[in-house]
Amino acid sequence: MTHLPRTPRTPQTGEAAEAPEPAAPGRRPAPDRILVVEDSPEDAEAIERALRRTHPDLVLEFTARGQGLAADLLSREELPGLILLDLNMPGTDGHTVLEQIRSHPELGAVTVVVFTSSTAPAEVDACFAAGADSYVYKPVNFALFQTVLKGAVDYWRQAGSGAGSGAASVK
Amino acid sequence: MGRVEGGAGADPESWAAGLHRMWQAAQDAEDITDMARHVYALMLAERDVVAVTGSRWEGRSLRYVRRLTAGDGSAATTTPPAGSVRTVPARLPAQDGAEAGDRAPVRLFAYDLAADDAAFAPEAALLAEAGARWALEARFALGGDDWAAFSLGVSRRQDAGSALPGRLLQLGEVLVAGNRRVLEHRAAERRRVEEAFLAEASLQMDASLDERETLERIARLAVPAVAEACVVHLCRPGGRLSPVASVHVAAAVQPWLRGVAADDPWLGEALRAAARRPEGTLITGEALGASAFGPRSEGPGREVRAVTISPLRARGKLLGTLTFVYHRPERDIVDLRVQDDLARRAALAIDTTSAYEQRRRNAEQLQRHLLPGKLPDWPGAELTAAYEVADDSLEVGGDFYDAVVRRDGGLALFVGDVCGRGAEAAALAGLARHTLRVLLEDKVPPGEALRRLNSVLTGQQTARFVTAFVAVLTPDGDGHTVEAASAGHPRPLLRRADGRVEEVRASGLLLGIVPETLYEPRTAVLEPGDALVMFTDGLSEARSADGTMFESLLPEAVRECCAGDGDAAAGLIARAAAFRALGDDDTAVLVARVAGGIVEETQ
Repeated sequence: MTHLPRTPRTPQTGEAAEAPEPAAPGRRPAPDRILVVEDSPEDAEAIERALRRTHPDLVLEFTARGQGLAADLLSREELPGLILLDLNMPGTDGHTVLEQIRSHPELGAVTVVVFTSSTAPAEVDACFAAGADSYVYKPVNFALFQTVLKGAVDYWRQAGSGAGSGAASVK
Repeated sequence: MGRVEGGAGADPESWAAGLHRMWQAAQDAEDITDMARHVYALMLAERDVVAVTGSRWEGRSLRYVRRLTAGDGSAATTTPPAGSVRTVPARLPAQDGAEAGDRAPVRLFAYDLAADDAAFAPEAALLAEAGARWALEARFALGGDDWAAFSLGVSRRQDAGSALPGRLLQLGEVLVAGNRRVLEHRAAERRRVEEAFLAEASLQMDASLDERETLERIARLAVPAVAEACVVHLCRPGGRLSPVASVHVAAAVQPWLRGVAADDPWLGEALRAAARRPEGTLITGEALGASAFGPRSEGPGREVRAVTISPLRARGKLLGTLTFVYHRPERDIVDLRVQDDLARRAALAIDTTSAYEQRRRNAEQLQRHLLPGKLPDWPGAELTAAYEVADDSLEVGGDFYDAVVRRDGGLALFVGDVCGRGAEAAALAGLARHTLRVLLEDKVPPGEALRRLNSVLTGQQTARFVTAFVAVLTPDGDGHTVEAASAGHPRPLLRRADGRVEEVRASGLLLGIVPETLYEPRTAVLEPGDALVMFTDGLSEARSADGTMFESLLPEAVRECCAGDGDAAAGLIARAAAFRALGDDDTAVLVARVAGGIVEETQ
């Protein structure tokens, strides 16, 4: 698969030079890493611009293809805390990527936010049934686009960092 | 201390250049904290300045304090836990209503650091520690509870001729102006977001005519753009508020939210109270304490900071409520007028949708009454009928058909078409159908039935005309004699058992135009296995993209559809529908196939 890392991965030290081991089940992903799965270069650029403004400390990684994504994640040393997933992609579409990710319990702690331009209830239901954590509408206007992304990322980062005062856990 | 006496900053020209840099920085700053670097550098270059501090406050509570001493590379920032460091009330910048002099954007204060002055903590200690003996403070309000102080620790008392107080005042004013620009920029950005949100919401409202789907789409759009959760309730008969859409940013929390929306007593009471008010209601803090959104609830796994409820009201009528639930900090909660605006737009959309739904139901019901619920069982022939509405419009079509067993045991069949659509066409179609039924049941012959219907219609003084074809089947040996009459209606087709297709050549003037018109009957014979195919012009005049009429293919279609045991009427409608690219007339087809005989298969 083609990764277009906009931010270099954290340099590995010492023992990390060895072959990466499969992610351990239930391992906590890094809340500050976001993987964006988006085939449209314009949307990917808008996501990057928006998140750079609202969350300059986030480590962003982009890929335009869903094929092999779950397998790639399983081989990783560090999992992203959140995957921002576009639904309409050529080849392996977002629904399939979602199903593949959710078929691996080892990736269960990774938050998957579907970010798409449809608000059709049937589409939302299908994504929730397949294990999406959030379904977020992708607006056309950039200012609103940025607000929506900020809302989603703020919510899940707080969840990932264990913040919050309620009794029940959202993940 | 590493400070250079009489530094470059003491030079008025260098000061002017530094101040200019400050103005430029103020234009790009996202927050006045971004300007701190320039401010510190500029003041530390001034004669006698030992250290500088910047403090930012929320009411009496210190948010952070920074200190930079001459020669230091970077500022040391202390951020105490919220509320742990508080200042005296006297230090708060003046509010509106204070003396004019107190409301100046920037106010200067001088301190002797040897004296213990509670009104200058914690800066006094920080500056004294850095070696300062005296201090000058510029204090300014930044909007709401937000205020800041920028202070200089100096080595000697500043006399009346000193440039330092004036320069500190200038810097303070640049900071205040920069902050004003930042606030205006933020407000404009927020307005842009609000406008874009309302515009997108309006688009969603047009996406569907289904009420529930429309509301789910709006709620989905609003989360997390406006809040982390959104619930829509609609008024049901008896005034009960019933939830129709519940959306939370976390899929896992949605079931909990749905439950609260459906039967939480606290929310029910809050909704009823909010629905009575003209504007939206904001519920925060302790008012949420005892609710399902309060800290003791087994709730959403996250603190709820606020709940807003806006009434859904259109054309003076309360339709329901729009509720938002916020986990975000209070400063990120958009102005309640946005929720109210969204509620108003949504209410109008719902009202329009339900009006449309009501009209659609009325049209459907009316259309059903124009057509027979069930065709009669008649031993001599098998009857099939089909009707296709041209589009999903709210107008009722004017096509009608029916079959009635006469008192003499014969079977009367008819099909007709009132020109145009809508209430008047439907009323005339109903009148024509029931008139023909009554007459034909009473053994009135087809030509006479049409003559009497014509009298009725011409008496209606309508500009609409009606076409109709009537046939009466009377058993005769193995087959039937057919007596038929037509009033300007497309000629029916006779499909013989051997596959031949003939027209029934009955003709006559349209109904409803010329009083006292006579309709000449024609007769034919139906043998076992023959079929009589009656239809309206929606079938014959269906056109393909190149303009070809289905009429030219009709004999072949009739030949094939009436072979075998299938539903001949439905078969013909389906073929015309597949063929049709142009034309949007309703279509009715009624087929009577005489029992017995060997029907030639033409597959």
